[in-house]
Amino acid sequence: MAELNFSNLSKKFDGVPALHEINAQIASGEFVALLGPSGCGKTTLLRLTAGFEHPSSGTIHLGGDKVAGDGHFVPPEERGVGIVFQSYALWPHKSVHANVAYPLEVRRVPRPEREARVAEALALTGLSAFANRMPSQLSGGQRQRVALARCLVFDPRAVLLDEPLANLDLALRASMHEVFSLFHRRTKATMLYVTHDQGEALALADRVAVMEAGKIRQFAAPEVLYREPVDCFVAGFVGDGAVVSAGITGQTRENRLVVNVFGQEVLSRSATTEPSHVCIRPESITLCNDAPIRARVLSCTYLGGRFRLTLDAAGETLVAFASQRAAIGETLGVKLNDLWAFRDPGAAVVMAKSLAHA
Amino acid sequence: MNASTPARGGGRSLDRLLPFLLLPVALIALGPVVRLLLEGVTGGDGFTTDHLTTVLTRPSTGTALLHSLITAGGGTLLSVLIGAAFAYLVALTDIRGKGALVFCLMVPMMIPPQITALAWMQMAGPSSTLLKLLGIAPPLGSPQPLHSPGGIILLLGIQHASLVFLTLRAGLRMIPADLVEAARMSGAGSFRVWMQTVLPLSMPSLIAGGAMAFVTALGNFGIPAMLGIPAGYATLPTLIYQRLVGMGPAVLPEVAVLALLIGAVAIIGVLFSRAVLSRRGFGLVGLSGNPLALTLGAARRPVEIGLWAFIFVILALPLLALLATSLIPAYGVPLTFANATLEAWKEVLFTQPVTRRAYGNSLMLATSAAAILLAISLPLAWLMERRSNRLSRILDALIDLPYALPGVVLSIACILTFLNLPFTDLTLYGTIWIILMAYLARFFVVMLRPIQASIAQLDPAMEEAAASVGAHLGRRLRDIVLPLAAPSAAAGAILVFLTAVNELTVSALLWSSGTETLGVVIYNLEDSGETIMASALAMSIVLLIIFLMGLVQAGANRFPKGVIPWQS
Repeated sequence: MAELNFSNLSKKFDGVPALHEINAQIASGEFVALLGPSGCGKTTLLRLTAGFEHPSSGTIHLGGDKVAGDGHFVPPEERGVGIVFQSYALWPHKSVHANVAYPLEVRRVPRPEREARVAEALALTGLSAFANRMPSQLSGGQRQRVALARCLVFDPRAVLLDEPLANLDLALRASMHEVFSLFHRRTKATMLYVTHDQGEALALADRVAVMEAGKIRQFAAPEVLYREPVDCFVAGFVGDGAVVSAGITGQTRENRLVVNVFGQEVLSRSATTEPSHVCIRPESITLCNDAPIRARVLSCTYLGGRFRLTLDAAGETLVAFASQRAAIGETLGVKLNDLWAFRDPGAAVVMAKSLAHA
Repeated sequence: MNASTPARGGGRSLDRLLPFLLLPVALIALGPVVRLLLEGVTGGDGFTTDHLTTVLTRPSTGTALLHSLITAGGGTLLSVLIGAAFAYLVALTDIRGKGALVFCLMVPMMIPPQITALAWMQMAGPSSTLLKLLGIAPPLGSPQPLHSPGGIILLLGIQHASLVFLTLRAGLRMIPADLVEAARMSGAGSFRVWMQTVLPLSMPSLIAGGAMAFVTALGNFGIPAMLGIPAGYATLPTLIYQRLVGMGPAVLPEVAVLALLIGAVAIIGVLFSRAVLSRRGFGLVGLSGNPLALTLGAARRPVEIGLWAFIFVILALPLLALLATSLIPAYGVPLTFANATLEAWKEVLFTQPVTRRAYGNSLMLATSAAAILLAISLPLAWLMERRSNRLSRILDALIDLPYALPGVVLSIACILTFLNLPFTDLTLYGTIWIILMAYLARFFVVMLRPIQASIAQLDPAMEEAAASVGAHLGRRLRDIVLPLAAPSAAAGAILVFLTAVNELTVSALLWSSGTETLGVVIYNLEDSGETIMASALAMSIVLLIIFLMGLVQAGANRFPKGVIPWQS
């Protein structure tokens, strides 16, 4: 297993920038998700890591070795990096066993050892019974596991996964989450997982890099992304809730910043003394009739066990959870607590973009 | 892969490989055509138009040009009539047994023209064994009716009908079914729908198919040679042949002009059809999902009988006549159960050195051409698909030229190019290698296109997956690309083999004693009056061809769409 290091990494396609000055360190054995809307550059970063693309500038280090950059380029077949494709890319003319054995054949691993390692990889992915099947005779989830076994069998220095669950149905995705988690625990592989599904990223990864327009907006643990987003894009893209502009009061109370939201003073966590916005998660909203902030119910959806309400408060749309059904058009009182305030000067532009992607 | 910073090693070194493969391919495929153009303009010594004027103003040139235009034009008309009738009936109506019908209609295209001519000659005229068998042969001394412009037109029309059929059927499949349904909803009956909706919409494909038939008929050598030369009716290809065979390489500058003349007429034909097409083009909008199926009702059975009767007349009858002739003991003797003999078969297949040699030469040439083209085309198609650049795109556009130009044009071009190998005193003229070179140039595209089609369908992730697990380029090509492209490559190889085994036009001009091909020997046997042996040899080739076609047909569902020419 090896650590992965991107430094000032940029990539242009025919002069159009796809990645801009990416800097990131991924520790050995870490599970990192690249999360972002389509076209944000996450797949480009993955393909640069695999060696299918050449960087326009900057360097990539893998386990201390420079694999790309400064006139140096290690081709994909010499990087020892495994990749699981969205289309699985199983070779249709080879059986499951032959697909999994191929990386070892290429490495001239002697037959007894090869057979043992293939059997182990098939057992780990629950495919032992399917060794002699052809890929066309497998279901989507089974193909996915063959791709994973093919990757695992040669002990790659890092494993890259390109939207591996995009072609599976919902029920299968949940069970594959467990397969990936198990795979990661057993192999301790450094994993880079590309997805546009925040649920997948937050559930699986140790850390998530949220990308937008060729840049990493925030690179942090899932709970940090959710509770302390750095800007409007991350706040809007990750998790449910609302982002509204906030007025500075210059006061602090009980170690919290006092900010002005909807004309009311509320307490908020913050990393800055001059915030421009607050992020209001559904958990931050308590509905009570005597609260000073008034909101009109726009919609009410039953989620099982609770209701999700969207509310209109002074022209902003908030999201709240309620234990009881609310009538559409009804006016409720909204009490805010445990908000997160941040500063994002370029917010207007970013908000428009994130809405376009929504 | 076309972005920015160059880097050492890795995929980049592949891009440097490309010119090394493209250059020899371009030289072999396109060099001769360029050489011919130069010869036509310079006449071998300096730029002058005198030489052009001399040849072009000669009366024999004008007559041959006129004959070429008459026979190719008439043949095209007939091809369009036959091909269109079959295409409309097969693609639009509910007749049964379409697959078998189409296969039978394609057989004449794959049978060499000189064999077609030989077979038809055995069906008509005073010495026809078949007619004698039936007791309806015309009296001895009456002329062979096929030795005439009419005979040439008839056979050219039948030979190339399948080209019109294939192009038109492909076009008909593009017509959205809802257009026809809309016409029916407006109250139009089957005939009115065809007349007022289908016919105008399919006119572009009909014109395109007609243009292909015209260009191919123009370059046809086998039929006018077998039927026209005995009647003293010369077309441009036969004129070139007679000049070159009569006088040798000394007349090369002259025949080069004639070859360019055919090439020019062929290109004018293609340009004319393109001009018509561009004015008649329709943007077809809608789904072309379900195939059209107009019901013929009570007319279905008579139509089916009519189509099969036609197939019987153009395919089965001539081949039966050919078979009958191959079984008689001496020419002119009627065939009976008592005197039927396989003597001629034994003679051509086992005894005669010249026919055995021809079999050997043709099989060797066809196998070598198929094998060499296979070996070059696979990596080349891969490079052109995965590492496309301007050079490869230019080659891609021009590679059709040697196949599209009439064969006689390419032959002259090859003689000019290889008569004196550049920078040496060596010559390939008179050796079998010049035929091989010509075959390589001519059939390149037949091999390249199916492989290109299957590599284009290959998910690049298949190769990237192999690269990521450590396979170098050579291994990726061998373990991943080759097995997946193999069915199409095999189909391409069989097609090259089939076409090369049948080939007469190119080898008729390039052969010399010892390097005869099957096409040449059939022609020479018939020319010297050995009709029975010619028939036996021809019949054995027909059986070989039908066997090979059947082989391709059997693997049909393993090939990507468009690989098999008779299944568009």
